[in-house]
Amino acid sequence: MPAERRSLRSNNKPDTSSSANGEKARSGSQSSSSNKDKPATTRSAANKVKPTKAASSNIASDSGMGEQQDQSHTNGTDSTENGVNGSEDIEMDEDTAGGPTSSFNASKDRKGDQKMTVVVPPTKDSRVSGDRGQDREGDVPMEGAGGEEPGSKMDPKAKAIQDIKTNFTFLERAVTHFDPRFTLRVLRSISSMRKQITSDVLAEAIVGAYPKSSTTASLLLSAIDQAGALDDVAGSTSKMDVDNDKAKPSSKEVLPEIDTYLSILVQIHLYDRKEIQKGAKFSTGLIERLRALNRRTLDSLAARVYFYYSLFFEQIAPLPPSPAATVTSIRQPLLAALRTAVLRKDVDTQATVMTLLLRNYLSTSHISQADLLISHNQFPPSASNNQIARYLYYLGRIRAIQLQYTEAHGHLIGATRKSPSSHSARGFYQASHKLLVVVELLMGDIPDRAVFRQASLERALHPYFLLVQAVSIGDLDGFLNIVNTYSSTFRKDGTYTLILRLRQNVIKTGIRMMSLSYSRISLRDICLRLGLDSEESAEYIVAKAIRDGVIEASLDHERGFMKSKEVGDIYATREPGEVFHERIRACLSLHDESIKAMRFPMNQHRLELKSAQEARERERELAKEIQEGDIDDEDAGGDFDAI
Amino acid sequence: MASELKSLVAELTNAVNRKQFDNVNTLLTRAKRTLLLQNALIPTSSTDPQLLVLARETLELGALSAIRQTDAPAFTRYYQQLQPFYDLEREANNTLDTKTSQRSKITGLYLLLLLSSGDGTSFHTVLEGLVEEASLKERNVEDDPFIKYPVDLERNLMEGSYDKVWRETNSERVPSEDFALFSNVLVGTIRSEIADCSEKAYPSLPISNAKNLLFLESEGAVMEFAQQRGWTLRDGRIYFPVEPEAATRSEKDILVASSSIIENAIGYARELETIV
Repeated sequence: MPAERRSLRSNNKPDTSSSANGEKARSGSQSSSSNKDKPATTRSAANKVKPTKAASSNIASDSGMGEQQDQSHTNGTDSTENGVNGSEDIEMDEDTAGGPTSSFNASKDRKGDQKMTVVVPPTKDSRVSGDRGQDREGDVPMEGAGGEEPGSKMDPKAKAIQDIKTNFTFLERAVTHFDPRFTLRVLRSISSMRKQITSDVLAEAIVGAYPKSSTTASLLLSAIDQAGALDDVAGSTSKMDVDNDKAKPSSKEVLPEIDTYLSILVQIHLYDRKEIQKGAKFSTGLIERLRALNRRTLDSLAARVYFYYSLFFEQIAPLPPSPAATVTSIRQPLLAALRTAVLRKDVDTQATVMTLLLRNYLSTSHISQADLLISHNQFPPSASNNQIARYLYYLGRIRAIQLQYTEAHGHLIGATRKSPSSHSARGFYQASHKLLVVVELLMGDIPDRAVFRQASLERALHPYFLLVQAVSIGDLDGFLNIVNTYSSTFRKDGTYTLILRLRQNVIKTGIRMMSLSYSRISLRDICLRLGLDSEESAEYIVAKAIRDGVIEASLDHERGFMKSKEVGDIYATREPGEVFHERIRACLSLHDESIKAMRFPMNQHRLELKSAQEARERERELAKEIQEGDIDDEDAGGDFDAI
Repeated sequence: MASELKSLVAELTNAVNRKQFDNVNTLLTRAKRTLLLQNALIPTSSTDPQLLVLARETLELGALSAIRQTDAPAFTRYYQQLQPFYDLEREANNTLDTKTSQRSKITGLYLLLLLSSGDGTSFHTVLEGLVEEASLKERNVEDDPFIKYPVDLERNLMEGSYDKVWRETNSERVPSEDFALFSNVLVGTIRSEIADCSEKAYPSLPISNAKNLLFLESEGAVMEFAQQRGWTLRDGRIYFPVEPEAATRSEKDILVASSSIIENAIGYARELETIV
């Protein structure tokens, strides 16, 4: 079985870029999406995570390719060659089952390209027909592979290799179409594939992707302790059919995108196996190589590489809170990467590296450095949602430490809203909620109770829930108790210092409660109820609360009481109007943003333009006819008169 | 060179203790020049530990003398220069002698300086690092008396327990004489805070009570203070200036409100136009 597969693969190899494989990839994805309920299929799992998104991107890519084909035909004379190719590559829907000729294609194309599923060969023009002959030969075993597929699905290893190979096609497509969506799709599939990755799988994938003399391949293989794999396979494949050997040299350079993709897989594999030192070393070398490349199609992959790079270093002792932590050593490379990314307008890497740097600084509590980084850099607004969420979280954290609660609150709200709610990102969701709760308390607000009822938060936020209860009733003793009981938890969450600042808020809330419930209360009672040390303190505290606008009251020093003022009707003020305005603004910006987020099929407007043009022509003809008719009706003299 | 530095440092310590600041300043300049020649002003891991200790001591003395001369910018400069030395100290495999280090004292003074200049952001930024560091060693920041002092002061200030702040600055609770230098500044700060609060909180106040509230020595001082703030004194009572008339303000409010409402409504209309 392995030998057979190997032969399949080596047949596969030369035409990974060919149309046939493209079709296969598609059929594979279709069949697996129809097999959704099969638990063994990893792809279906990926589909399940974001079913709508995957589907939509499928559709989008289809239509995109339709356009491409359309373009190549309208381009002009060179369409003939394409057309020949097309006879094989274009797969009609069932109604055009008869063998399509190229001319038929071309004419059909103009009217009914919506009906067709078109696969464009992402090949270069240099492809000669001799190659194609081989392709066709290669197709035969491919069919076999298709028939085999149900069987191979049972084998997770084969499935993983299959998936990796499918992803190669996507990456190649991403490069030829210059469309980052394909790359993102590949990156998305990593998480579902992660469990299946073993060093064997990786070795096989690597060996299949590279010619045997490739240095990159040997580098990758040595990182996963499979350095011998290349030679083994090389030895066995040399015995294989002759055209295979011929095909190998003709295969073009392996794309750097595929290099990087395989490197990411190696990184993940090393990380999952906790080979941290090795991973760190491998990643350092990888980043050196990446820095030399300047390809926009590589951006999102490079970002992922940096992410794992930093992840490795975080786990090397001495661990972060200590000032001599290993993470400090990667600040220099990360800063260099940030600079390069900004200069190249590489948004993905820029966003990722910035969040990594912030995380790095905060882990050793170098807050002023983090603040400087933020003030000297602009975070790319078009970064991916997850990066924005991370950035907002770190920003909120820094601002909270700097006492800028309102700003911190805004950022944290953004972070919690943008954070993915899927199971895997629960940690981030919890962490940002914890911080948000504390900041809300510091601002004098009481967080919504519903927050603590969410299933994913209930247990993690329990200490915070108790804290909120204590603050909301202004119970100073209870508050101090909770802080002492859960101090280790709070320290671990990094919220301890913030919580210590809450003491004054507890007091303020207590005073507010009393001011609301009593129209007049003696300072002595306030002192007793809040557990303060002296009446004097109470007087100063109440005076401060009055100045800060916490309560509407006045003090009588001689008789020692606080007198609350009558609270006016809130509806007589501008408050409701302002809140209403705020909401309208939010709705309008939501509308604007959703319009901006819409994705329109490429070149769709051309069709409209065409029809518009036709309509205009028809109109013109009509107008002409009418005019001519007019001339016919009237005599020549009248016409002259008119002039 | 090292022996020369040693004698310089000894001389310097002497001079600082005897508060001969002119002498100190010239000595400091000389010491810093020597350090610079030996490349020890900025520590590296390869610098001789002996030299590092001397360099650190020089800078610490410089910082202390700057505080005693109430030269805040110079103190901040020394504090920043000391940071690399302290970072070396914190590393696990340090070869430096930490016993002679006055790190917590200098840091405490810096915190107090930030507090008295009202720079809460920097204060908490520095503190956050300290808390993190202390929790690494399974300790509390408050275990260190030099750090505890500014932290407590800050907490009381934020809370509004000005009497506690007053007591802290006034008595022997100050951990070292250098910390007492800030007391005047702090008392000035809380006095103006209290004055701000009183303006809002009391309609009027007897002068004798105000004396206690503001921690002033005599009623004469109260009157002087009241005049500075523009309070009116009548029949032995202080009357705080009342806010501008509510009626005129509300009229102005309506004007502002109506214009903003009109503006908003036009804005909505425009947005609706673009949507429909």
